[in-house]
Amino acid sequence: MDVLKQNVGILRHQDQVLAAQILQVPGGTLSLQTAKSGMPTALVNSRYLHSAYDPVREAECWAEERMKDCQAGETLVVLGVGLLYHVQALRRVLSHDHVIMVVVPDLSELADCVSVRSLEGWGEQVVWVAGSMTDMVARVTQNAKRVRILSYEPAAEVHHAAYEHFRLQLQDRLSQQLSGALHIMVVGPIYGGSLPVARYVVNALEALGHRVSWVDHSPHYAGYQNLDTIRDQRLRLTVQQRMSETLSVISLAHVAEDPPDLVLALSQAPLTMAVLEQMRRKKVLTAMWFVENFRHLTYWQQMVTGYDFWFVMQQAACLDAFRKAGASQVSYLPLAAEPAIHQPMTLTPRELHEFGADVSFLGAGYRNRRHILPSLVGHGWTFKLWGNEWDTPGALEAVLQRGGARIDTPTSVKIFNATSVNINLHSYTGEGFDPEGDGVNPRTFELASCGAFQVVDARTLLPALFDESMMAVITSPEHLLSTVQTYLHEPARRMAMAESSRKRVLEAHTYVHRMKTLLGAVGMASPDRLGAILQGERHAVSLLARSEKSPELIPILKQFPQTDRVELVDVAKNIRKKGPEGKLNREELLILMMDEYRQEKRDFL
Amino acid sequence: MSRALLIQLARLGDLVQSLPVLTALHSANPEQALDLLCPSPLVALGELFPCVERVFPWKGEQWHELATKRMTDCEQLLVQAKQNLSDCDFPMYSLAYNLNNHPRGILAGHVLSDRVVGPGELGPLNQTLPAWAGYLRQVAHDRGSNRVHLADAFCGLCQVFPPSDIPFVKAPVVPLPLELERLVYGESSTVIGIVLGAGDADRRIPLSVWQDLVAACAELIPESYLLLIGGAGEREAALALENRLPATYLNRVVNGCGKTSLPELVSILNRCQWVVGSDTGPLHLGAMCGARAIGWYFSRARVHETGPYGIGHYVWQHQGGQPRESLDGHEAKTAGSSSAYWPVMETVHLMREEQVDSTTNEWDLWTSHRDEWGAFYTRDDEPEETVLRRKDTWKRLSQLGNQDFKVEVSR
Repeated sequence: MDVLKQNVGILRHQDQVLAAQILQVPGGTLSLQTAKSGMPTALVNSRYLHSAYDPVREAECWAEERMKDCQAGETLVVLGVGLLYHVQALRRVLSHDHVIMVVVPDLSELADCVSVRSLEGWGEQVVWVAGSMTDMVARVTQNAKRVRILSYEPAAEVHHAAYEHFRLQLQDRLSQQLSGALHIMVVGPIYGGSLPVARYVVNALEALGHRVSWVDHSPHYAGYQNLDTIRDQRLRLTVQQRMSETLSVISLAHVAEDPPDLVLALSQAPLTMAVLEQMRRKKVLTAMWFVENFRHLTYWQQMVTGYDFWFVMQQAACLDAFRKAGASQVSYLPLAAEPAIHQPMTLTPRELHEFGADVSFLGAGYRNRRHILPSLVGHGWTFKLWGNEWDTPGALEAVLQRGGARIDTPTSVKIFNATSVNINLHSYTGEGFDPEGDGVNPRTFELASCGAFQVVDARTLLPALFDESMMAVITSPEHLLSTVQTYLHEPARRMAMAESSRKRVLEAHTYVHRMKTLLGAVGMASPDRLGAILQGERHAVSLLARSEKSPELIPILKQFPQTDRVELVDVAKNIRKKGPEGKLNREELLILMMDEYRQEKRDFL
Repeated sequence: MSRALLIQLARLGDLVQSLPVLTALHSANPEQALDLLCPSPLVALGELFPCVERVFPWKGEQWHELATKRMTDCEQLLVQAKQNLSDCDFPMYSLAYNLNNHPRGILAGHVLSDRVVGPGELGPLNQTLPAWAGYLRQVAHDRGSNRVHLADAFCGLCQVFPPSDIPFVKAPVVPLPLELERLVYGESSTVIGIVLGAGDADRRIPLSVWQDLVAACAELIPESYLLLIGGAGEREAALALENRLPATYLNRVVNGCGKTSLPELVSILNRCQWVVGSDTGPLHLGAMCGARAIGWYFSRARVHETGPYGIGHYVWQHQGGQPRESLDGHEAKTAGSSSAYWPVMETVHLMREEQVDSTTNEWDLWTSHRDEWGAFYTRDDEPEETVLRRKDTWKRLSQLGNQDFKVEVSR
């Protein structure tokens, strides 16, 4: 019997539709050659997907390396088809308890493979996942709870976009199923734009039911600011650096006192590489949400290997730059809004008088804004300029409010609500619009969340977040004046667009959404650690179901509400409740012993 | 044959101070096999103790590693903990004597035996201390006028009287590094052990003081050799000390820091006539190996509680807290080294068996003795009233002891 016929028979046994499709697709994706070892190997666009010498040995090495990370109970989802040597090797080294699923985005590639490589003896023990993206994701999530993705890069690269799409959809779907609660330590900056984001992140994580410890460094701002009194610049920078290092050690002390499952830092959080390395040694996972333009603020390059996970607000070039610099996991995570803060509101007449305007801009005095905004002065409407860093404002002096004072969040909400046309220009150090403008600023989400109408400069990542029925998008500074004029005369249209933008925020762009996505990504990348907890595997009910090796634990676990997360510390606490006269069995004594060692803080600082 | 286990999970000094209670327990019940549980790095020393049948390591690192595993749930941790314990192959114990008033010692006692004597004897969660443990805690807290030595209080804790014979740790037959071998097996001479290090930073003696002592010994004690004793942590300090010494003394100094295992250290200490240092493990070990010890006790160290155990040892007890010179490290303080007084010459006089004043510049000299109630120290060889009151302490605390486990109370 020829190989193809035999393989189709194997596939038919599992998936009749797939088997039929394999016979119909033309093939030709892979160029086949014979490797030095005599086995077939494959190329796409002149690049080898498998070794030209010994593809079997190469696959064995790959599988042995991956196997080290695989834990019991995980479903292994393999990305990358090629000639499937890697899947065969993986099947051989893993026990049969492990389910292996192979994602097939292109049937033609699989057809090429099964015409030369036999599936006999292992292909029957692999789940073949094909079809539409939605079907493939559903197939994985319906059958697997704890997923570990294994990417065979040479072959996965051929369908890079499809696999990225699959990953994101899978992550999204899995994040909808999360039920477990983590202990997350949020480390914020001393000051700056990411400070309010840190607050929103804390609120969102708490709203999702996680235990959050917030290491808030903002109380140290006054002391940090006071260092400005040191006139010598080098001296001042050195002292500022030392202060940041001390704050970093303070963060570490908080971690030592109550070790979290995840440390989530926001940009500018004072965490040094030394402290991050110590956290890694102490097995604490770390993530950074870098809510800055990676081209403008480049300190991430020094920190990139310090964090286990990076989340960035830009895509493509940014992701590439981080990966090239050594980031092990980096994902796109746009900013968002906090609807409990940024919301529509009714203003008092006095507030309307102060904050109301036909046109407003709120933000710092970046060069492009200084260049563009004067075009809005001197027309038949009121224009107000809010924000700081507007010294020597020139033509803007007459419209600058509060003498260029920094505007706090509650006031900004009032300004957004009291303005007919809010101008939102992303910062740029050049004169016009940022030609590389990709990431979307927080103001975009905040204005939308307030139900306020905005005119915003075009960003490549904006269309995926909001469409043009929700805000006026201009592609050049020259369009600003005419766009403002147009919309000033169309209040109903403005209102409808603003309404739609708020609806979109509530549907998809709150910090709760972002934190779900972030935890989904972290959980998927560490299925045996955070993934397991997020999937509820530490719930009392789940532990009870798995306690066959330690039946002595059953009565202890039954004391907890079924959906409570139960850790060693909780069990130990319950055992101690037995009081001075309590008789303990061996297992209880061992749990108390481990709890004693768990509390040990030696070597942490 | 029933087996008992003595649990001592603290540091080297405490393990050495547990030797008298091991001896006493063995004398009180020679038919009962007696095992020892101690921190794994100290097992090699425990194996040299007389009257101990088997020594089991307590693997604190392994427990810590297990307890801080972040990817493992409670049930998996428990399975692993049981496996670790089973790998140690502990026998069943009819009795566990626990010397440590902390949860690990207490829990270890209850894991390994149904009956525990010492802290935790009323139950693993019962914080009521046995009489002797309460006494020790009170001493640590109040620093009263007690005269019962820690090693003897350990005996009280285990419901036995102090041993009739002073325990002695014999030198094992072990190969030594060449330079140490020459010293141990070479021509007869006076070997003085200098214990450079101390577990606590505030018990370290400045290098300048050691420098003075080494120079004085080399000058005034003919045919003497100075053996620098310490672990890997003292290597740098020992090298710094050697660099400070004039070349003429260098052939009299042998640097053993970081070069010996515990059995090798025992072998070397067996060869020392004298051992000098602060209140540290090697000083106590030296005393148990037959050397005469001279301790310099300051900071929190108190001669009456932890002076070297036995007869004929000396302790210079500082009258106040710390001497003025910094004790926080080995760094020399050029300006400060002459500002505090250390009984260097007086120590040399003692080794030369010369008359020494019992009080010298804030330091009091105490000499060790022993009677049926254990070890004690006197000044001017005159037992104070408090020394004589030890008998009352023993009687009072023995009557308060747990009657269920009482082995021997009358003498």
